Amino acid sequence: MGKIIGIDLGTTNSCVAVMDGDKPRVLENSEGNRTTPSVVAYTDDNEILVGMSAKRQAVTNPTNTLYAIKRLIGRRFDEEVVQRDIKLVPYNIVKADNGDAWVEANGNKMAAPEISARVLMKMKKTAEDFLGEEVTEAVVTVPAYFNDSQRQATKDAGPVKLQAWM
Amino acid sequence: MSNEKKAAVDNSADEAQIEVEMNDAADGEAPPVPSHDELLLTLQDAQAKADEHWNQLLMARADLSNAQRRSERDLANAHKFAVEKLALELIPIKDSMEMGLTAVAEGDEQDEGRAKVIEGMELTLQMFSGVLDKFGVKEVNPQGDRFDPDFHQAMSMQETVDFAPNTVMTVFQKGYVLNERLIRPAMVVVSKAVADG
Repeated sequence: MGKIIGIDLGTTNSCVAVMDGDKPRVLENSEGNRTTPSVVAYTDDNEILVGMSAKRQAVTNPTNTLYAIKRLIGRRFDEEVVQRDIKLVPYNIVKADNGDAWVEANGNKMAAPEISARVLMKMKKTAEDFLGEEVTEAVVTVPAYFNDSQRQATKDAGPVKLQAWM
Repeated sequence: MSNEKKAAVDNSADEAQIEVEMNDAADGEAPPVPSHDELLLTLQDAQAKADEHWNQLLMARADLSNAQRRSERDLANAHKFAVEKLALELIPIKDSMEMGLTAVAEGDEQDEGRAKVIEGMELTLQMFSGVLDKFGVKEVNPQGDRFDPDFHQAMSMQETVDFAPNTVMTVFQKGYVLNERLIRPAMVVVSKAVADG
């Protein structure tokens, strides 16, 4: 069995750690930082940027640069929080067929867990680069105030991620 | 099994009853159950092996914790003195700047003084760039290049016909990479196609 990693999936930044002997060790990403912006961007060339590079190009590509996705995860489109967010963020928040709050980038509608999965994948990659082995299990943090729907949606970001890994 | 053997023995007909009995006894006891002494020996042997392995484990554990402590210390020292070489190379630049300032203070306020200051600064800058280069620090000056968020930070966008869209029009501040890792992105203005109408 491989090592289990711990990911702090934050609204603005995310962080990954592994147990190194008996102590937890926060890992640095490929750019040498211990936190990675929870930002995902879909560029005109159909590239998907995650983290710092996504954040750096935000000004040039505001409608396809998705951030603060954690505020939408597991929420209904009609919720007040979501309605308030719509006015705050430059990207499109749309209503999915089932009533969930989804986002739109480069004309594609995507569920919030799909976006979070991109961030989780990047964190997993950081851990794999450090450990030199594939990681198949992770513990992901959620805030204490998350309800069941939000918790489930965060877990759903896992399988989406796993699919992408296979 | 012992029944079979017994049968075999019985078959060999004319053996004395006692012999049969003796054979029986031997069959039941001797091969599977070792003597007390033998058991004791085996136990001692196993105990000795267990002790040996336990000691090996303790030693390996001690080795590991020593190695961990050593690597922590090495790492701390490496952090502490990593700048030593860099500092040594930077000192002459400070010397040179100090000498320049002294020269300006002592010199008369005529035009040749200004030219000398410029020359001095240029030389100092050259030294400085040399040091950065030596330590693997490279400049990122993407003027006119395609915008690359891996190395550039977009400050704003500007409509223009002079550049293809998504090109770096202006570099506010140069970026730097240290041994291929970005330490500061270049701050840039990115071009945008002029909106119709």
